[in-house]
Amino acid sequence: MRVALAEDGALFREGLLMLLQAAGHEVVAVAAGGDELLAALASTPCDVAVLDIRMPPEPDGGLVTAERLREKWPNMGLLFLSHYAESHYLMKILDIGTDAIGYRLKEKVGSVEVLTDTLTRIADGEIVIEPVLAKRLVERPRGEKKDEVASLSERELDVLKLMAEGRSNGGIAGQLYVTPKAVEKHIASIFAKLGLHTDETESHRRVLAVLTYLRSQRDGD
Amino acid sequence: MRLEPAAPGNVPAVPTARPGPASAVAEARRRREREQWQGRRRLERQLHDGAALRASALVLQLGLFRHRVPEAEHELRDAIGVLQDELHAVLQELRDVAGQIYPPLLDEAGLGPALRELAERLDAPLRVRDDGRRFGAAAEGAVYFALADALTADPVSARCVMVAGSEAELVVTVAGAEPGLKELLLDRARPLGGSVRDELCDEVCDVSAPPDEIDGTGTIVARIPCE
Repeated sequence: MRVALAEDGALFREGLLMLLQAAGHEVVAVAAGGDELLAALASTPCDVAVLDIRMPPEPDGGLVTAERLREKWPNMGLLFLSHYAESHYLMKILDIGTDAIGYRLKEKVGSVEVLTDTLTRIADGEIVIEPVLAKRLVERPRGEKKDEVASLSERELDVLKLMAEGRSNGGIAGQLYVTPKAVEKHIASIFAKLGLHTDETESHRRVLAVLTYLRSQRDGD
Repeated sequence: MRLEPAAPGNVPAVPTARPGPASAVAEARRRREREQWQGRRRLERQLHDGAALRASALVLQLGLFRHRVPEAEHELRDAIGVLQDELHAVLQELRDVAGQIYPPLLDEAGLGPALRELAERLDAPLRVRDDGRRFGAAAEGAVYFALADALTADPVSARCVMVAGSEAELVVTVAGAEPGLKELLLDRARPLGGSVRDELCDEVCDVSAPPDEIDGTGTIVARIPCE
């Protein structure tokens, strides 16, 4: 996979570069800030751009850079890395795009397997959300959503967490060792209990529906 | 429930003292207090750019090391994985400490987003309204930590917060405030030259929630000058 990387911390940038190369990815650009990355990618797009959120241009250069990249190359995957997993930034990221996009903690992409799995899912068009954050969103839904989420069975909660991580039906089935058919049943039941529409056929649209549901206030936040 | 901004005419501004020896002392005190908040913010950034980034980079180096270990060496590979998990725990603890010094989201995005995130973490039914305007490290920090202390002790000690104001002054209206919150806000606001007063609810907010949910008498308004 062709990957570009922008991160202002030299130690972390070097470490990620070496891990990407060890995983067999072609790193086409390495930069210490957003503007530098945009210049490096001017003529050679990549499959996925890995962006630190908190980097130049300050304060959150990763978000500004992502907007510009998406405008120029709508199909380029975007992976945001941060020291913090906050739903505030998750919502900002989903404003930039709802497919081929990911948000993970810096120290959670520290193995060749996880890094490649994350990049592959993004390149395939999926949303990838840090599991720590997905878990918090499901366990701490806002306001009156709490009662509705509390009505889910334990198995349905497992499925909801994996959906909030952005997993496809196949991905959820693989994680829970059940058939995709069983996952579909669980999802239909979850959507019915939460009062969400199940007619969304595309996986990432359902993920978005779930994330928006968990995060929204009564009068829309 | 909806909370509307206090119209400028409804709430009288805090009288400003004329320059003199007494106000010079007060001003010096405010300056020291502001510097303390700015110092907190610097410490958090130092933690983020220093120790935290170094530990995250170490996780990557361990990942690279693990990748180079032959697959047959399961025990060694697993042991490296355990070390990586330990570093994640170290980083979580650093994040907790950083949040108590000066929350990074407060620094980067302001009072509204930081209070929403706080409510989410504490599972507090707090509603937050803001227009994204910024008021400086000191005023924002003072209000944030007063509310954080109150909500940590009792998640329903404030029900609705509206952040508003101008370049010169941060104005925070809290509806459904428990009595203790006023004291906590005063403690943080006074050293910065701020004030906190009770407001009749119908003067400052349009509350459509049932009266038992929001007590109209518990509305307070904090005003803090910005640096």
